[in-house]
Amino acid sequence: MTDVLRVENLAKSFGKTTVITDISLSVPAGSVFGFIGENGAGKTTTMKMILGLLKPDSGSVLVCGEKVRFGMTKTNRFVGYLPDVPQFYSYMRPQEYLRLCGQIAGMSTQDIARRSTELLEMVGLAKVSKKIGSFSRGMRQRLGVAQALIHSPQLLICDEPTSALDPVGRKEVLDLLHQISADTTVLFSTHVLSDVERICDRAAVLHHGTIVLDGNLADLKARHGSTGLRVEFSHPDDLARFCALIPSGLLADPTDTEITVRTTDPKADLAILHLLAEHDILPVRFEVLAPSVENLFLEAVA
Amino acid sequence: MKAFSSFLGKEFQESLRTYRALIMIAAFVALGVLSPLLAKMVPDLLNGTDMGGGAILRVPAATALDSWGQFFKNISQLGVLVLVIVDCGITGTELARGTLTNFLAKGLSRSTVIWAKFVAASVVWTLCYVLALLVTWGYTWYFWGNGPLPHAFLAFACLWVFGEFLIALLILGGIIQANIYGALLAAAAVIIVLNLVNIAPQAAKYNPITLAGGTVNLLSGQNSPGDYLPALWICLAAIVAVMAAALAVFDRKQL
Repeated sequence: MTDVLRVENLAKSFGKTTVITDISLSVPAGSVFGFIGENGAGKTTTMKMILGLLKPDSGSVLVCGEKVRFGMTKTNRFVGYLPDVPQFYSYMRPQEYLRLCGQIAGMSTQDIARRSTELLEMVGLAKVSKKIGSFSRGMRQRLGVAQALIHSPQLLICDEPTSALDPVGRKEVLDLLHQISADTTVLFSTHVLSDVERICDRAAVLHHGTIVLDGNLADLKARHGSTGLRVEFSHPDDLARFCALIPSGLLADPTDTEITVRTTDPKADLAILHLLAEHDILPVRFEVLAPSVENLFLEAVA
Repeated sequence: MKAFSSFLGKEFQESLRTYRALIMIAAFVALGVLSPLLAKMVPDLLNGTDMGGGAILRVPAATALDSWGQFFKNISQLGVLVLVIVDCGITGTELARGTLTNFLAKGLSRSTVIWAKFVAASVVWTLCYVLALLVTWGYTWYFWGNGPLPHAFLAFACLWVFGEFLIALLILGGIIQANIYGALLAAAAVIIVLNLVNIAPQAAKYNPITLAGGTVNLLSGQNSPGDYLPALWICLAAIVAVMAAALAVFDRKQL
C-alpha cells in the first residue's frame, strides 16, 4: 500500500516553547488514520505543517510523493482540509461558497456544479439556501466537510472535527467521514477516543511532541492482548462460588451476578474455563475484554 | 488567473453584501454634494455678521474655485477617514477570523489574495472618488459655470494616488498585525509622520501628504505641476514599496 502522507523527523518550536520534538509517521492510501493527543499536544501544528501553513524547524513532509514547502500550496491540490472550527463568509450561501472553493481549486464550471450538488446532498445541506451566517455549528461543520472534498482530494485532513459538536452533530460528522473513507484517505485529529474506536483503522498517539504509539489499530490491540475477562452467572450463589476460586486481588467491578477478572495472562481465559468446568459452575456469559483505544492511549502516555 | 478573478469577484461580492461599498458610495456622493453647497452657503451665512464694535463681516461671493477648494478639503479629510474606516479590515479581519485558511489550503497563492484585495479596494475607491468629483462638477457648473481648470487631471489624480497609498498601507498593517488595529495603526502612524515632516517647508514638495488637499492651487494657477510631481513620484514609489512589503510579509507569515 503506498503512503499518501509521509512525515519524517518533523520538529517545531514557537519561541522557546517546543511543540513538536521529532515526529515521523506515514498514512497509507485508503486508511482512516486517527491522530490522537491531548489538548495542546501539537496536533493542529502538525496538520498546518502538512498543509504548508506553518514552517517546520526541521524535517520533511511528503504528500502523494511531493515535498511540501512552506507558503507554497502546490501539494494542497491533493489535500482537503477541515479546520477545527471552519470559518466561512457569513454573507454567502452554501452553493456560492462551494462554487468559490471549486474555482479556487481550478475546477471547471460543470465539475463544480456536479460536485457541489453531490456534496451538499451528502452533507444534508442540499435544500438549505439561507446564508452561512445563520448556520448552526453542526451545519458549519458539515459544510466544512463539503468544502474540503469539493476538488476530490486524495487525502482529507480534519482537525478535531467532532470536538465542538453535540452528540447528534458528532454522529453525523463521523458517519460522513466513514462514508468518505470509501474513496478518500482520512487523517483526523482528536482527543475523543471513542471516535477513533468507531471509524479508524490506524492510529498514532502524539505525546510531549513525539509519536509514542503508531500502527494498525487491530494489530495494536492484539499486541497489547486482553485486559481481562467479564463473567456473568444466572445466580448470585454461582458468582460467590466462582469468586472463592479466584485470588481476590484480580477481581473487579462486581454486580449481583457479574464480575471482571483483571489479567493480562494470555492463557487465563482457558484456565478459568477449566476451573469453571471442574467446579460445575455454568456462566451465562464469558467475555474476553479487548483493550480499548482508551487503554492503549493511557498506557502509551503513562 | 482564474483564481485571481474568482477571488476578486468574492471581494466585490463582500463589499456589496456587507454594505461597505454602499457606505463608501453614499458618503462620497454626500461629500460631492456638500462641497459646492458649503462653498455657496458660507458667504451667505457669514455676510452681515456683526463682529462687534460696529464692524460688519463682508465675505466675497463664492466662485467655482471655492467649490473645488471645499471638494479637496472634504475628500482629503472626511473622505479619507471613510476610506480608512471601511477598508481597515480587508486583510486583518480575514487573518483574525481564519476565513482564508480554506482557500490557502486549496492552493490559492498568497500573492493572489493581496493583489485581489488591492484591486477590489482600488476599484471601489476610484468609483467613489469619480462619483464625488462628477457630483461636485455638476453642482459647480450649475452654480457658477466651470471655467478653465488648468492641470485638472493632475490636480485630481494627486488625491486619488494618495488614497491608493492608504489602501496599500491598510493592507500591509492588517497583514503584519492580523487584525484591524494593525491597519488603523499603520495608516494613522504614516499620516502623523508625514504631517510632522511637513513642518519643514522644503520637505513639502517631496511629501506625499502634499497630494492630499493642496492641489486646488494647481486649478487656481497659484502652483505649477512641478510643485507636486516630486511628491507624486515618491508616493507612487511608496505604493510599490508598501505592496512589496505586504507580499513579502504575507509570504513569510505562519498561519
